Amino acid sequence: MDSNNTFNPRLSVITLALLAAFGGPAWADDEIDELIKPESTVSIGVGHWSNDRPQQGIYDGMRENESPHLLIDADIVKRDDATGTWLRFETRNLGLDNREFSGEWLRQGNIGIKVDYNRITRESPQTFNTPLQGAGTTNQTVVNSGLATAPRRDLTLGTTREQTGLSFYKNLLPGLEFNVNFKHEEKTGERAWSPGHAVQFVTEPVDSTTRQLEAALSYTTKKWQLRGGYNGSWYKNNNPLVRVGYTGAASNTNPTYLSFPGDNEAHQLFLNGGYNFTPTTRATLKLEYARALQDDYLPTSGVTDWPAAVQAAVGPDKLDGKVDTRLAQFGLTSRPFKNFSLNASLRYHETKDKTPIRTFSTAGQPYNATAPDYVRNSYKTITSKLEGTYRFAEVYSFTAGLEDKRQDRDRPLRVTGAEKDIVVPLRSEVDELTGRLELRRSLSDTANGSVSWLHSKRSGNRYKRALWDHSDDIGLGGLQDVRNLTNPLHMAKRDRDRLRVSVDWSPLEALSLQFSAEEGRDKYHDHSTMVNGLDKGTNRLYTIDAVYTATDALKLNAWYSYDQNKAEQSHYRTHTTGGAGGGFGDPAFKYSDLQDTGNSLGLGLRWEATSRLDIGADLEFFRSVSQYDQDVVPLDAGGVPVFPTTANLSLGAPDIENKLLRLSLFSVYTLDKSSKVRFDFIHERWKTDDWTWQFADGSPFVYGANVNTDGTTVYTKPKQVSNFVAVRYIYSFR
Amino acid sequence: MNIARQMLALAFCASAFFSAAALAASDPDAPDLILKGDAKCTSCHDEADDTKPTMLDLRPSILAIGKTKHGVIADGRTPSCTDCHGESESHLNHKGSGNPPKPDRWFAKNTDTPVDARNETCLTCHQGGKHMNWQSSIHANRDVACTSCHKVHTDHDKVRDKRDQTEVCFSCHKEQRVQVNRPSHHPVLEGKVACSSCHDVHNDNPKTLIKSSTNDTCYTCHMEKRGPFVHSHQPVTEDCGICHNPHGTTSPNLLKSRPPFLCQSCHDGLSHHGAAASLPRGPGSGNFQTVARGCLNCHTNIHGSNSTQNSSDGSATGYNQSQSLRR
Repeated sequence: MDSNNTFNPRLSVITLALLAAFGGPAWADDEIDELIKPESTVSIGVGHWSNDRPQQGIYDGMRENESPHLLIDADIVKRDDATGTWLRFETRNLGLDNREFSGEWLRQGNIGIKVDYNRITRESPQTFNTPLQGAGTTNQTVVNSGLATAPRRDLTLGTTREQTGLSFYKNLLPGLEFNVNFKHEEKTGERAWSPGHAVQFVTEPVDSTTRQLEAALSYTTKKWQLRGGYNGSWYKNNNPLVRVGYTGAASNTNPTYLSFPGDNEAHQLFLNGGYNFTPTTRATLKLEYARALQDDYLPTSGVTDWPAAVQAAVGPDKLDGKVDTRLAQFGLTSRPFKNFSLNASLRYHETKDKTPIRTFSTAGQPYNATAPDYVRNSYKTITSKLEGTYRFAEVYSFTAGLEDKRQDRDRPLRVTGAEKDIVVPLRSEVDELTGRLELRRSLSDTANGSVSWLHSKRSGNRYKRALWDHSDDIGLGGLQDVRNLTNPLHMAKRDRDRLRVSVDWSPLEALSLQFSAEEGRDKYHDHSTMVNGLDKGTNRLYTIDAVYTATDALKLNAWYSYDQNKAEQSHYRTHTTGGAGGGFGDPAFKYSDLQDTGNSLGLGLRWEATSRLDIGADLEFFRSVSQYDQDVVPLDAGGVPVFPTTANLSLGAPDIENKLLRLSLFSVYTLDKSSKVRFDFIHERWKTDDWTWQFADGSPFVYGANVNTDGTTVYTKPKQVSNFVAVRYIYSFR
Repeated sequence: MNIARQMLALAFCASAFFSAAALAASDPDAPDLILKGDAKCTSCHDEADDTKPTMLDLRPSILAIGKTKHGVIADGRTPSCTDCHGESESHLNHKGSGNPPKPDRWFAKNTDTPVDARNETCLTCHQGGKHMNWQSSIHANRDVACTSCHKVHTDHDKVRDKRDQTEVCFSCHKEQRVQVNRPSHHPVLEGKVACSSCHDVHNDNPKTLIKSSTNDTCYTCHMEKRGPFVHSHQPVTEDCGICHNPHGTTSPNLLKSRPPFLCQSCHDGLSHHGAAASLPRGPGSGNFQTVARGCLNCHTNIHGSNSTQNSSDGSATGYNQSQSLRR
């Protein structure tokens, strides 16, 4: 209700009078219907991008080579008010490669069914010019002979997901509902891959089927609620293996077999319950039990043309993978006093790997001690949380919370029961304790906000050492020490602090401002014996948003964000053997200071210029700079090999700057009560000096470090400028 | 008869124009427009008072409730105006000039109705099913109201439309607003993946994810990573978030940092493992740990390998190829 207009002749009263007098003229019904009946819209148009946009068009299905684009959207809704029956058909991007549509029939509160289709495309921004034979198939041949005359072609890699869904809903009794959702996905395409033993180009042919089913029964009363059911998921890989051969004779001409993930499936039973002891005290319970299975044939088990130098696989032809997951969680929320509330929970989550420990290849190879026996990875995590909030002075609240997370991990075992060799030192226990304080102001007309501080400490038991010595002592010398100098990032002892301040301020009725500042610091420890790994981390974010409603017809908004993420880490290089310090010793250290810094800006305008014309404009600008500063100490002379060498390498990685500017303009002109025309114009500029697919001099990356080179060249488009124009006709009806 | 009806109409019109003060209070005889008993509200909040939805979205259209599922009275569960806003006697009985007192519960941005009271209104009907754990969710405990995100009086609740959902989420989650615009990102802005594809904000799972762990959430789309594999990569089995930032990165493939830096956050520096980041000067330069796919140029099946081909082609002097996730 418009409170400034107290003398307001009520049209409903007038309408009532007119209805009584004239039997309900159509215009009166129309006006009310426009406000209270669902509206359908159909939009049909055409759009065109002036240039290709390999980076910005990865997902939007509008690469220039497919232009012009047919733009079709529709949302058609029919409702029978007498029975509460909805019939809905919706489509987006129907004329594009990433189209989607759905149809739904629903008798509200009783029964419903929905069918949907969604297509997600991903086109790689790189172009691969390659002589590779059989790209995208399971039998590929790297051309390493007659390269000068070998036919080459351009490959643009990409994947497509086609998702089909079916949902059914039925209200069985008051409060008792049954839901079932099924989703089927076919994923096809190809991605960049490698035979593994050298920097060569082959493609990963993607062809898989995924199915997911959830069936749940929910029962709800005012006092208690239950929801339980079944979740099933199935993954089928239609490509078991890729054979990579070579056209020419060379040192590495034997076929290589690249494996795919095997078919897997998981079955879960779940139960979730809630009970209201009082209007202010509630308990919840979650129980889940899941079993994941992977019993597909090992892809290399049927291979017969192994190279002479490679021994065939032995042992079982299946992994018989079995992983059980259990969850039990109890939660309690309560407001024992008017101004004080509590939130407590205890959570037990266990992933138990029950896959048999077996050997799948013949022993006797060099480095036999690292033969590929299956390694189990099991985790048991217990998390307890307690948080209290005290409200005072009507608009303030103070929150203090504590969370303790304790994780136990399996130690890898060999077939014999002994501990298996590992390549990274591991901990069998990792614990993290987090405390949090927050002061919040809310419910004020003009200024609300919060300031919060979080501190956490992560630690664990002593590391199990990598490779042959599994003791948790340090200082045995030789390779044992050299390979145990790095704290893994997810287990390292760490102190974390986070400070966050946010303010919502409305100095004027027409103006609202939002400030937010965040500063986080991580400090990693344990460097006395394991001197390398992450050392420090910083993240910060400063942002301001403003919305100004100039008039009832004009609204402006603006925002700016500065963000920075830093990681400082130390690492080292050492000779494989024979260094000046003897054997593996005398590592040379390097220290990296990695930074990602972003500046982002957005400006927007929405203007109802006339009763028929709406105009909008958005300007977005994003700039990110990634820095890779390194302080590298040269290795002592002698030994093999020394990385890097100045002759072949740049000795350093330059900064990378990405810039995106996008100006979007649109106008919507109302032709009549049911018809509109919309015009769109977008100017988009993308620029990068990303060297991911470049050599040090900026030339395109060419595959091949040895005799197997096929000269596959990778092209990127570092600067992309394109304009988009579109016109749409929009028809609305009821 | 027609004359009689027209006289009645004139009487109503006269009443409307000359008894404005009385009409400022609700009219007990007015008919319901949408919901049972809504006349006490819609006799004032009628089409004259209503704001048709516009692109400026400055204020709610009261009557637009009729376009929504809350406006279907054939569904016996549908609430009335007072079920959500309270009986609001002082608001209804206000007469004379000046602004009437607010309803018992109101939901605008500058409301003085406490968050708990606002949320209890919704939970009266929506406590069950997937909202069962709302009270212990992060959002509930940070004073987020249902109506902070949801708009009830509209047939286009932005947060339930995957193309527009980010407008709502980014009003608080500024860091993610920046990250989804990084070169490597999920197709969120393109409208193919929504925040709610991964996050269930009504639940109390870690990181408010839709499943009880990060990996189970990722497997809903990336099920091939579930394995288990003959040769596994430990952090893959623990938490995808150890290496990936799903909201967007400057490094390819949503990696938190580039190879070799990321890999060297765990792995030792023996031999080529310890390579400093460098750009090759051309083909044949060797040491491709930084460019192209970085360490993954060779360790190509980094999420796990099912191969048993165990030695290097023709040069079986090396380490186990499949265990080191090379095939």
